[in-house]
Amino acid sequence: MHDFDKQPGDATKFRLEVGGAAPPKPFNFWRRLRSNPLALVSLTLFAGIVALAVLGPVIYGVSATRPDYASINAFPSADHLLGTDNLGRDTLARLLQGMRVSLIVAVYVEALNIFLGALLGLLAGFYGGLLDVLVTRLADMLFAFPGLLLAILVAAVFGPSVTERFGGIGRLLLVAGSLSLVSWPLMARLVRSRVLVLREQEYVTASRSLGANRPWIMVQHLLPNVFGMVLVASTLDIASVVINEAVLSLLGLGIQPPDPSIGKMITEAMPFLEANGWQVFFPSAALMAIVLTVSFLGDGLRDVADPSAST
Amino acid sequence: MLKLIAKRLVSLPFVVISITFITFIVGYMAPGDPILAMLGGRTDPAAYERLKHSYGLDQPWQDQYLDYLSGLLRGDLGLSFRFQGRPVADIIASGISVSTALGIAALAGSLVIGIPVGLWAGVHPNSKRDRVSMILMLMLYSIPSFVLIGLLRWINYQFYLRGLPSLPVAGWGRPEHWIMPVIVLASASMGYIARLTRVSMLEVQKQDYIRTAHAKGLYNRRVLWTHALRNAALPILTVIGPSIAFVVTGAFVVENLFSIPGIGFLSVQAIQQRDYPVIQSTTVILALSVLVMNLITDMLYMAVDPRVRVEG
Repeated sequence: MHDFDKQPGDATKFRLEVGGAAPPKPFNFWRRLRSNPLALVSLTLFAGIVALAVLGPVIYGVSATRPDYASINAFPSADHLLGTDNLGRDTLARLLQGMRVSLIVAVYVEALNIFLGALLGLLAGFYGGLLDVLVTRLADMLFAFPGLLLAILVAAVFGPSVTERFGGIGRLLLVAGSLSLVSWPLMARLVRSRVLVLREQEYVTASRSLGANRPWIMVQHLLPNVFGMVLVASTLDIASVVINEAVLSLLGLGIQPPDPSIGKMITEAMPFLEANGWQVFFPSAALMAIVLTVSFLGDGLRDVADPSAST
Repeated sequence: MLKLIAKRLVSLPFVVISITFITFIVGYMAPGDPILAMLGGRTDPAAYERLKHSYGLDQPWQDQYLDYLSGLLRGDLGLSFRFQGRPVADIIASGISVSTALGIAALAGSLVIGIPVGLWAGVHPNSKRDRVSMILMLMLYSIPSFVLIGLLRWINYQFYLRGLPSLPVAGWGRPEHWIMPVIVLASASMGYIARLTRVSMLEVQKQDYIRTAHAKGLYNRRVLWTHALRNAALPILTVIGPSIAFVVTGAFVVENLFSIPGIGFLSVQAIQQRDYPVIQSTTVILALSVLVMNLITDMLYMAVDPRVRVEG
């Protein structure tokens, strides 16, 4: 219907002329962030958690897998700051390593969500037609499974052979991939519905009438407007990814022993809860700390990125 | 009304086919040759072919899928890989009844506690009791089940140390085995139901007919019980669907950490034994049961509230 593909390119020239003498102040993300205490505090905390997970194992320097048979199921002490588990492995070292695993999985899942979910949602919403039908139907198909069921199925069926063939890294990627099956359809749906609204806005029509082609409109006008939403949605999603990774590991589907994972640490310590509750407490507390920080960060970022949508 | 139900029923086959097809394809693409694994060291080609035929694995994939579908309709879930020739339905039958009983108990518990708490909080919005109970419900909603299990077991142990009877932390069969799993399973949906009930209560209190009732000079209590409660209760029906999804996913963690021989426990056992047909079956059963329950609650809601227009 619209033949705006035929005149590519020249939109920049017009933009300069239309822009006029007094352009509105550009949207400054960092300035807005600095004036939002919730976002700032949770961002600092989150940076601290990331630093702990990245640098912690290096600085602490104790092996997360080597058992110390002299102290088994020990309480926190000077030798082992957070005690040891039922095989005599240092809890602090395992916890730092486990946080690292949680965050790596979260990064992989969010990368998949953004590249698969957000990109497909953007393209489907903007171009419509067959692509839109395919993307929405695929998302609907994956949506038919409640909660973690599909992730459990995929991780269970492909887990053993992936570990045999590609080792720990392959397993990590499989866990991330199966968790993203649960969350990318949601991201695609979110972005698509936003794009459906955005593409009918006056400024998009204006840009079209100035001869902008479709890729230009998508990159210049739609992408900046969905960016904030994608950032907020993927930050909030990290919380559920961290919990879901713990659930998969707890069921024996995630990270394989002897490598630590927060979920695995909790199940392994659960039978000894009455003897040494610390071993259940520390990983649970670390997990809750990550989840709460990320949730507050997501809420804060929502206020920063889109003040009109605050609830 | 009938039109709406018909619309829902038309989209139903698509969802059912999605669930069964994805589940089938994942199992079909499973790496390794299950027949070879079953035969172990022996490599008798005749036995291999016979076994492959009895599992239907010698057919092209579309025939396998149709077989699988028609089997599902007849309640035949295929054969187990682990226990040669034993039907999957046999293996998980007892698990289904255990999980269903547990799920119903948890759902009933979350409704029986969640709704009154939500109403109680919503009667006086922003009062102290509203804030305290809603923070508590938010915590119940957001705390992961495995963290809650640790907490409950610790509290249980503290009671035991002070001479009170201790609840069992594993096993199934006696009434006391139900208490902790049901609490854990009910908590997330309880928090969810309570918070939504409160919102529904707040919405209703804004309505004109409530103001009219007050203006007529009715007692607060009368307005609340006869006008507000009845209408606030309606939207609560819709939360039952999502709550069932909570209970289903929670069942995996709860059954495994409490060693309850339900469907979630059996599927994790099957995972360790690489018995894919069992995992496929539990996935399909759980997904379909959530689907059916969602459909029923939607229809109930439409039947109760004629104003509802479900889009799509």
